[in-house]
Amino acid sequence: MRRYFGRKLLIYGLTFFIAATIDWMIPRFMPGNPVQSLLSRSHVAPDAVPALIAYYNNLFGLDRPIWEQYLSFWGALLSGDLGRSVYLTGRPVTDVIMSAVPYTLALLVPAILLSWWAGNSFGAMAARRRWLDNAALPIGYILTATPYMWLAIVLAWILGFIFRLFPISGGYSYALEPTLTWTFVGSLFSHWFLPFASLFLVMFGGWAIGMRNMIIYELDADYSRYLEALGAPTRLVRKYAFRNAVLPQITGLALQLGVIVSGALVTEIVFSYPGIGKLTLAAIQNEDYFLLQGIFLFIIVGVLIANFLVDIAYVLVDPRTRVGMSGRSA
Amino acid sequence: MRLRILALLSVFALLVTACGTGANPTPSPASSGTAPASATPGSAETYPRAETLYTTGKQWGAPSTWNPLDPNAAMGVVGLQYETLFLYDPLKDTFKPWLATSASWTSPTEYTIKVRQGVKWSDGQPLTAADVAFTIGLDKIKAIGANTWDYVTDATATDDSTVVVKFNNPNYQEWATWTYNKPIVPKHIFESKANEDILKFTNVNGVGTGPYLYKTHADDRMVWMKNDNWWAKTALNLDVKPKYIVDIVNGSNSVGLGLLLQGGIDLSNNFLPGIATLVTGGYGITTYYSKPPYMLSANTAWLVTNDKKAPLSDPQFRRAVAYAVNVGDIVNNVYGNIVAAANPTGLLPNWDKYVDKATVDSLGFKYDPAKAKSILAAAGYKTGSDGFVTNKDGSRIALTIMVPSGWSDWEAAEKVIVTSLKAAGINVEAKPVDYNGLVDARNNGNFDFVINNEVQVSNTPWTYYDYIFHMPLQSGAGKNRNYGSYENPQAWALVQQLDKTPVTDIAAMQAITKQLQQIQLTDMPVIPLWYNGMWSQVSNAVWTNWPSAEGTSHYLPSTWNGYWQMGAVLMLTELKPAPQQ
Amino acid sequence: MNDPERISSAVPVGAAAPDRAPIQPAAPAPAPRPGEPAAASGRAEAVGRRREILYFALRDRKVLVGLGILIVFVAAAVVGPLIRPGDPDAFVGPMAAAPSREWWFGTTTFGQDVFAQFVYGVGSTFLVGLFGGGLAALIGMTVGFVAGYRGGVVDEILNMLTNVVLVIPTLALLLIAAAYLTARGVLVEAVFIGLTSWPWAARAIRAQTFSLNTREFVDLARLTGVPSWRVIFGEIAPNMGSYLFMTFILLFGGAILIAATLDFIGLGPTSGSSLGMMMYNAVAWSALQLGMWWWFIPPGLGITAIVGALYVMNVGLDEIFNPRLRKM
Repeated sequence: MRRYFGRKLLIYGLTFFIAATIDWMIPRFMPGNPVQSLLSRSHVAPDAVPALIAYYNNLFGLDRPIWEQYLSFWGALLSGDLGRSVYLTGRPVTDVIMSAVPYTLALLVPAILLSWWAGNSFGAMAARRRWLDNAALPIGYILTATPYMWLAIVLAWILGFIFRLFPISGGYSYALEPTLTWTFVGSLFSHWFLPFASLFLVMFGGWAIGMRNMIIYELDADYSRYLEALGAPTRLVRKYAFRNAVLPQITGLALQLGVIVSGALVTEIVFSYPGIGKLTLAAIQNEDYFLLQGIFLFIIVGVLIANFLVDIAYVLVDPRTRVGMSGRSA
Repeated sequence: MRLRILALLSVFALLVTACGTGANPTPSPASSGTAPASATPGSAETYPRAETLYTTGKQWGAPSTWNPLDPNAAMGVVGLQYETLFLYDPLKDTFKPWLATSASWTSPTEYTIKVRQGVKWSDGQPLTAADVAFTIGLDKIKAIGANTWDYVTDATATDDSTVVVKFNNPNYQEWATWTYNKPIVPKHIFESKANEDILKFTNVNGVGTGPYLYKTHADDRMVWMKNDNWWAKTALNLDVKPKYIVDIVNGSNSVGLGLLLQGGIDLSNNFLPGIATLVTGGYGITTYYSKPPYMLSANTAWLVTNDKKAPLSDPQFRRAVAYAVNVGDIVNNVYGNIVAAANPTGLLPNWDKYVDKATVDSLGFKYDPAKAKSILAAAGYKTGSDGFVTNKDGSRIALTIMVPSGWSDWEAAEKVIVTSLKAAGINVEAKPVDYNGLVDARNNGNFDFVINNEVQVSNTPWTYYDYIFHMPLQSGAGKNRNYGSYENPQAWALVQQLDKTPVTDIAAMQAITKQLQQIQLTDMPVIPLWYNGMWSQVSNAVWTNWPSAEGTSHYLPSTWNGYWQMGAVLMLTELKPAPQQ
Repeated sequence: MNDPERISSAVPVGAAAPDRAPIQPAAPAPAPRPGEPAAASGRAEAVGRRREILYFALRDRKVLVGLGILIVFVAAAVVGPLIRPGDPDAFVGPMAAAPSREWWFGTTTFGQDVFAQFVYGVGSTFLVGLFGGGLAALIGMTVGFVAGYRGGVVDEILNMLTNVVLVIPTLALLLIAAAYLTARGVLVEAVFIGLTSWPWAARAIRAQTFSLNTREFVDLARLTGVPSWRVIFGEIAPNMGSYLFMTFILLFGGAILIAATLDFIGLGPTSGSSLGMMMYNAVAWSALQLGMWWWFIPPGLGITAIVGALYVMNVGLDEIFNPRLRKM
């Protein structure tokens, strides 16, 4: 097991190194020049321009040799400093990201966990009842084929625009200040619900179908047939089938994390939900590559951590991996 | 399950609250260590709807600095919190004494400012002449991006209410723009920050003189609260009506529109296509004019030509282009008449008195493809086998035009330009590029045509001509004027001469601008197309008596940078609560 | 069931569709019967199987429904531009008109014909799917085959590469790649997508290759000194043809969804139109707030229908290739 985790950590470490290096290149090798774009938006007196260019180059550390920039990038990175945002006039990127993170996590974590749980339960149920299966399958396929943002748009349109049940933009009412009161929590909830629901539904469809198909496979596997032949009760067979079917669903979760994150990003954009996704859009629209760089790195670290958690969950659920994963001879 | 969701939610609420307070460091020295704990549970502070003005349109990113010297300061920092010596009202072309009670040129090189007495900073200290002199002195710091000290030699407070500014060879026009654009800052706060790093001072909850005080902010909003001790209440008998102003950061234009339609936003300064249908559609939304062009004009959109590159380096070719562009189509079809076609000089309507009618009549252009063709033929451009004109040496002409991708209205205008230029025999194609790429290409001269609209309304046409004719040419990252690289020393000398003409000497200014227009309309360094609107859509659900041509309030209805001190702050004094239903 | 590799990678990877959904496992195609020389069995058996597959395919409701939907859309993409020729983004109609006899899908705020944009967008959607999915399949197969067949150090390195690309969030990578180019076309977008969405396919194919590796006919080929690439493409690949085909279908659908996501955050093609860009523009220009449903419903519905049809077809094919599933 140690070797298993060692291997995983090596992969994550390598990924992080490569990703961070690509990341570092973003603002430096992009076409154009961040300082140029920044200056193009404000009309300072021409005589003052050279001084401003020098000032910004210094502020963003662009006035040093490339190799030195790279080294200091790592130095800063390891101390949690992701540089400064260009379009937010030098505000530390870490700061900007941190104020958006709670919103994104509040969408992602419940949506992932609940949809995984609900989808798997539902899928397992569907595999047992033909009528449910006939109804669930098409719905599942439609949901899982729906682009995240489109479901979000449709929900916003129907529930937000036509029926006015939920607000369709922002993180909480513009008339409130964040305080720990029921009014505020209620406002937070009503703004959170639609983006959450659209994420949940798309993922739910995927998990349900996956589980349904997986169970059918497992019920068809040799061990199931063997158990059946031995006269084991159907419940028992299904229980084993479910257990085996859950494993790939866990791996599936790990594989999907990146895509789920991007789904959350576009969902936030639809609802102007003040999380990482909206920040990403702003960074793109304003060509703020330093902010983009920070967001990118942040997402990667998040996905790596989530992957690692899934790895741990996998080992906990599947005892075989403790032996089997440690070495595979091919 | 319910309970679990609730539990999760409260954790989430806690996090947001903590981060929210974390982002607003209170001036207390121990703030960094205690920030998360300072989220005090209490009653939710709500801004009563009837006392709150919701705005949007200026802020495109999270408010991140409240330093009035930073051009990216949050909405309202200059104008609502920090004030200028004068207000300038473009609609009436008058300067209104504000923090100064008067100012005058006591000699051709000496300007004496009388600072208003009885004005207090929001921390209780009085505003004095020392603050004004200090603020002028700050312009020596290069990072602020000013060039005041190129022509100012000294600024001294001679007593508590008088500042004497000395000049060598004064740029009168430029200085006049200074008096209503530069916010006066408190010396006792900014003194310790007065170095090259001054812009790193974010100045949250700063000390100003204006009608509003910092209340709070989040990444998607900026909240101002009325300053009950505002000096103008007694001094000028003015009172701003909204108790709170909540400015909502543009996630996108669409969010603003949705809120506007639902009465959640009172003033939207976004470009909203199709607004004409909404104005007449019974949504309670109004604009400055009730009929086309609906909006006041804020700036001129030009077709900028690369004057260093053949065939656009030929003034005759540029003139032909000017005649060939079907601006009417852009105004009618692309914008649905919410903009107006520009005067051939491109001077904004508030500079109308500087337009020399005779020059425009004789040299001005209008949409006339036949004339465009005849100009080209007369200048020696022959038509090639593909129906397009060729270079004089017979080589093929293939021009491109760029606008930032995603700027839909400009992309639409671009299509009209391509179509109409082709119809006149000029071969041009739209070249898709994003904003960054466009800036890079434009600043380094790798373009044929771009659209640009960067000169805003001001008190003097000098800002307009300085932009068009600026010399010496800049290049690369710092280029922010004269993108077409038009070089005409004679024109540039006139622009400088204009700058050195006293603002009160209208006749002398007109004499110069006439010559500039003759050069402009002969050489066509840029081609004026249409006047972009001062986008402003207001809801009458909560507040009424908005600025309008028909009504009694005639001020600029804009929250954009630089517009508060062009009279928009007075709009707030004219607002009236809507009658309760 | 005791082969850990099957648990850890083969099934779950097949289980994870390229985009997000754990769409179902495509089990390996039945290999030739043991003892029968692969080469000799080749033709006759293949023809027989092909007939059998065709027979079932034409009777499988899922395949027929999926295929039917796809054909309708392909037809729309081909015929549509003939009905509404010219630039789909041209300003041809009244502004913000609801669907009518003249403007079937209505017009945008700027007076563009939504129907013209839609059919054009469907075309570029297929283009992205075909090229993006195709490239991803190509890379995935190459990496998977080589890693699975060669094993050892080559496998280790390729596996590492796969894992690295797998954990980097594709969108983040695409975001940067797209931002690097100031002018982008649909094909460029497809190439980016292809370059980043292959890892799960590579892992799945690698696992399948492992399981075929030990079969007699592969051993036989290897022993007779046939070069690796010929063993791979002559012996291994044909034996998992159905699997590869299904992988491609899933990659195809995945590429479409990724493209829509990219378009939606404003990193789509700088020229031309696509379904994702239609949604981006609809949201950016307040279609939601103005109730212009005809602007944002068609593009999303189009993507959902195309991707859904691909998935359903995939399941249908799975049932055909794996007869045991048919009874369910």
